[in-house]
Amino acid sequence: MLRKLQLLMLLLSFVSLEAQSDGMEKWLLPTSVPQPKDNKLTQERVELGRLLYFDTRLSRGNQLSCASCHHPERGWTDLIPTSKAVGFDGRVGPRNSPTILNAAYQKHQFWDGRVKSLEQQALGPITADVEMNMPLELLIPKLKKIKGYVKLFKKAYPDEGLTQKTVAKAIASFERTVVSTESPFDRYAKGDASAISQEAKEGFELFKGKAHCTECHDGFNFSDGSFQNIGLHDGELQGKELGRYNVKNRAAWYGVFKTPTLRDVTKSYPYFHDGSVKTLKEATVICSQGGRFEHNVRNKSDVMVDRHLNEAEVEKIVTFMKTLTGPDLQIKIPTKFPQ
Amino acid sequence: MKQILLISLFTSLSLFGANHIVNQKGKTFIPHEITVHPGDTITFKNSDPFAHNAYTDDEDNEFDIGMQPTGEDKIITVKPGNNFSVECAIHPNMLLEVIIK
Ligand code: HEC
Ligand code: HEC
Ligand SMILES: [Cu+2]
Repeated sequence: MLRKLQLLMLLLSFVSLEAQSDGMEKWLLPTSVPQPKDNKLTQERVELGRLLYFDTRLSRGNQLSCASCHHPERGWTDLIPTSKAVGFDGRVGPRNSPTILNAAYQKHQFWDGRVKSLEQQALGPITADVEMNMPLELLIPKLKKIKGYVKLFKKAYPDEGLTQKTVAKAIASFERTVVSTESPFDRYAKGDASAISQEAKEGFELFKGKAHCTECHDGFNFSDGSFQNIGLHDGELQGKELGRYNVKNRAAWYGVFKTPTLRDVTKSYPYFHDGSVKTLKEATVICSQGGRFEHNVRNKSDVMVDRHLNEAEVEKIVTFMKTLTGPDLQIKIPTKFPQ
Repeated sequence: MKQILLISLFTSLSLFGANHIVNQKGKTFIPHEITVHPGDTITFKNSDPFAHNAYTDDEDNEFDIGMQPTGEDKIITVKPGNNFSVECAIHPNMLLEVIIK
């Protein structure tokens, strides 16, 4: 009897080893996405937001939509180094268009974190003259002339109708559905030991251990939302992007940018806020050897130090990062728009 | 003269005020809420292996501790005013609520 019990216990402990979720919880994708009280997700809102997201009539010249720079078939970005964007106070700085995948989980939007909610973010590119160049005084009357939209807004926001606010809310609702699908890494994190290769597993250990990547690329979204200067330039940033320092001249914000997610990162090249890095290998080398410049960088993060990785270790980390890519989301790109 | 007065005011405040310890560990403030009186001090500790930078833009209690490396302590004195929250300039998910009684 005792023997049997012991055997059972032994078996049970094996089972729990197999299920391997110990310490893996923080890497698991959440089952729901945060939503503001006044803009809970409904099917009508998401559907309306999807149409607006792809509709070029939201731009002044009827040429650009959100998808022009954040396209689902291009990793929710545009795959070019920099797109024109408007910075804080209308300052223009060409920046790499980030993926909008999982933007819904972020506490701050943009590389410099200058806005918080997706609702606040959405009207920015529409009105920015270097982006969609569509003043809201023109946009709202233009949309109101499209009867199909008036109807859809009425359905999605019965008490509010078609306003600046609900345009932003509908787009934000759609963006809240643009979240990660299950990647091989996710299956591994849930306990399927065969979901990723031995090389990728070793890469994950290096990522958390020797390479200290999780000091910033932490949690299920592989970003802790932190603002960091990783030493892309040496000395003073004359003529270069100052990052979050533009939002407020706080000493800690000199040359810092938001730590980006690494989910689906194979799809969203080129990399970094200036699009200056083409491959994951190059990004890993820069991030593991203390930045492009190890010394003489004003306000460089104290965790950006040379971790002395060899070539094989860098390769393993790259192999691991590739397991963070899931299948493309099944998003229907609209072919017909409301008339 | 003015300076001396200010200094003695500060020391007398901190002499009578209580000190509250807030640790920064695992990219969180521990505890994440404290109740204080004006004149109390808050000592920020850093038990993480990297720097933090607590600050608040609150009108009455605005402060920016600056880069605070591992193991260093930083002390601020609470002024009269409304409740406020403290963030970390590096890790914005860190949040400390300060309730003023
Ligand atoms: C002309 C190209 C362009 C267009 C059009 C455009 N964006 Fe962007 N988007 C960018 C660039 C570049 C950035 C980064 C700017 C920065 O950080 O300063 C950005 C940033 C963002 C972010 C922040 C993501 C993050 O991780 O910080 C979101 C969300 C976003 N855009 C959504 C939209 C939506 C919604 C639309 C349509 C209403 C839109 N964009 C239209 C280029 C564009
Ligand atoms: C100090 C925090 C920090 C550490 C540690 C760190 N990163 Fe980063 N990483 C960042 C920031 C911030 C950026 C964006 C920098 C910019 O554009 O200025 C970034 C960008 C990247 C990118 C490009 C992603 C994109 O979409 O543009 C990759 C890939 C990357 N890091 C991988 C790694 C790997 C692998 C490690 C470990 C070897 C690592 N990082 C360590 C903060 C960090
Ligand atoms: Cu911090």
